[in-house]
Amino acid sequence: MIVVNTETVPGYEMLEMKGIVQGNTVRAKHAGRDIAAGFKNLVGGELKGYTELLTESRREAVERMIAQARELGANAVVNVRFSTSAVTAGAAELYAYGTAVILNKID
Amino acid sequence: MEALFSLLFQTLILVPLGFIFGRFSEKKHLKSLEEREDRNSKILVTDLKSFTMLSSTDQRAEMLIGEVTIATDYYKSFVGKLRNFFGGEMIGFETLKMRARREATMKIIEQAQEKGFNAICNLRLETADIGGSTLSRKSAITVSILASATAYVCNKA
Repeated sequence: MIVVNTETVPGYEMLEMKGIVQGNTVRAKHAGRDIAAGFKNLVGGELKGYTELLTESRREAVERMIAQARELGANAVVNVRFSTSAVTAGAAELYAYGTAVILNKID
Repeated sequence: MEALFSLLFQTLILVPLGFIFGRFSEKKHLKSLEEREDRNSKILVTDLKSFTMLSSTDQRAEMLIGEVTIATDYYKSFVGKLRNFFGGEMIGFETLKMRARREATMKIIEQAQEKGFNAICNLRLETADIGGSTLSRKSAITVSILASATAYVCNKA
């Protein structure tokens, strides 16, 4: 599965467009991590717990998007965009969307 | 004593009430979305910036906008609070957000259908935070989505 955030893929031609595919996830860290992040806010530095949270969420959202593309019979997702939002304090949503297409390698 | 009473009231009355009515309205919404998506499945929806397969005879294009705001029910907020304490995936909010996005996209598709277009490109989905509700723990959780796209006529292969 080719996943890119450009509209075209070099060396490939677009055979068919399948339409939009998307994946999202809302996740939270346990209260311990929230408290640790609160302390970290006092001294500054990377909030490792929240970095982890975002990485996990992004992976999950992309996986779900790819699963949808597979279901449509596509072999690539082009023009992938990410969007994040806060649902409540301490919880983040990650949303990935793109266009599922069938690509063919140009010889 | 009063605080204890209000806590009991919340968990014993509002949570089951939210569970029953929230489930009901969510099922109804998902059913209507599925029906409308089936009806309009022929429209090509992409987030590409260019007009792919643009018709050579009918070169109209128009920007369309769809907005929607959905509220959670008390049950979902309650489960969300628990999840926020222990950490992990908040499935209730995931479906809530996706419902809002599907609804906003559907509004655009229906407008396009009405105006005689058969394709939509450059779909953008924006999350709007009205009233800053996500910042305070006390106020109700609402989800607002603003969708914009360009409708055009494509000649499908």
